[in-house]
Amino acid sequence: MSERAVFWYGCNALRHGDIIHSAIALLRAVGIESDPAGGPAYCCGTIKDGNLQAAAGMATRTVEKFNATGRDKVVTWCPSCHRHMGTFMSGIAPPKFEVAHITEMLHARQDALRPLLRRRIDRKVVLHTHSGFHEVDANPLVADLLRLIPGLEVVVTDYAAPGHMCSALAPVPAALKDVVRHSVELMKQHATDTLVTVFHSCQRLLCGLDTTDGVKVVNYVNLLTESMGIETPADDYAQWKNAGSEAAIMQRVDPRRIEKIGAQFFASQILPELRKLPEK
Amino acid sequence: METNTDALLAYIESNIERTLNDCTSCGRCFDVCPMTKYADKLAGAQGSEVVDGVLDILRGKSATPAATEWTRVCTQSATCIPACPENVNPMLMLRLSRITALGSTGRPAVLPDNKRDPNFFRRINAFAALQLSEAELAEWQR
Repeated sequence: MSERAVFWYGCNALRHGDIIHSAIALLRAVGIESDPAGGPAYCCGTIKDGNLQAAAGMATRTVEKFNATGRDKVVTWCPSCHRHMGTFMSGIAPPKFEVAHITEMLHARQDALRPLLRRRIDRKVVLHTHSGFHEVDANPLVADLLRLIPGLEVVVTDYAAPGHMCSALAPVPAALKDVVRHSVELMKQHATDTLVTVFHSCQRLLCGLDTTDGVKVVNYVNLLTESMGIETPADDYAQWKNAGSEAAIMQRVDPRRIEKIGAQFFASQILPELRKLPEK
Repeated sequence: METNTDALLAYIESNIERTLNDCTSCGRCFDVCPMTKYADKLAGAQGSEVVDGVLDILRGKSATPAATEWTRVCTQSATCIPACPENVNPMLMLRLSRITALGSTGRPAVLPDNKRDPNFFRRINAFAALQLSEAELAEWQR
């Protein structure tokens, strides 16, 4: 019998529909039917340190919405949301549910996952890690999960980037550049071309390495679903980022969807982000 | 009647009080921080003095440039947490310092809020609309 849980994917993971779909498929594969929830309507409020009225309103609203589902478990994806729930949110709005990170849920159910990983992936990959998610030791959990994939050689180095994920480094550009440079060096050192991310913002900020350095950047959930033979959407964000030009991006995006969000907004807010590549 | 903003403020203030009670300004958290090398203002700084400055921010006193800068460059690396001999959670201390330095607790702001981006959520919604189906958008984000 399957469990049922809310899968709280957060806000910025929405840049990566593929990751969300793969995560849902993996949870289902290990016996967890999820009620996905995310986006601004479920924002934890962690970005509102400068506006406590907004932060408090968002935190309370989100906890109350989860309470109202009647689910006794919320599975998190985003380390920022997970952290904020464990401190500020639960400090002001008592949750009626337990919180677990998806890496913990999948790792605890790896016996269910193992027989489903039938397709070999004959590739050597380096795991991209950060030091900062101290609430959950996600790096070794992900490494263990990846090692379940037949044929996959997983390199875990002793380098962990600062922050809990790459977006945390954005306010300190020199630190982010160091992480990018170091990641590329690791690929050369270990003679491989595939870097595996744990979190969405690392995927977002590093996937352009395909263009700059020939490094394929893939999130671990997509490697797991690939080995399971599950068809999930392509990594659109990485494809757009590595398209090479605005015209090439436009060719890859459904014009009806651009129309829906507004052509002007797409041009002024989305294209510049997609054209920005990792800097060293 | 207490609002949820009051509750958050009270939660923050209680954590500030706990931090002020428990922190001994030994400076170990500063010494192990991987981010200090990215801040010129922190070159040669003494950990205990910088931490004293952070505690002053939490007290609402005037901030030293070094304390403000360390608060700014904290990226939540968590390296400081096991280094603290008093279990203060220096990472949370710096988050509280940031909240205070932004002026959110009613004390004068000494840091600009670089996360105020009017298009932050709109971009997220746009990427969602570019990739999720209508049904997923309606079901998952309501």
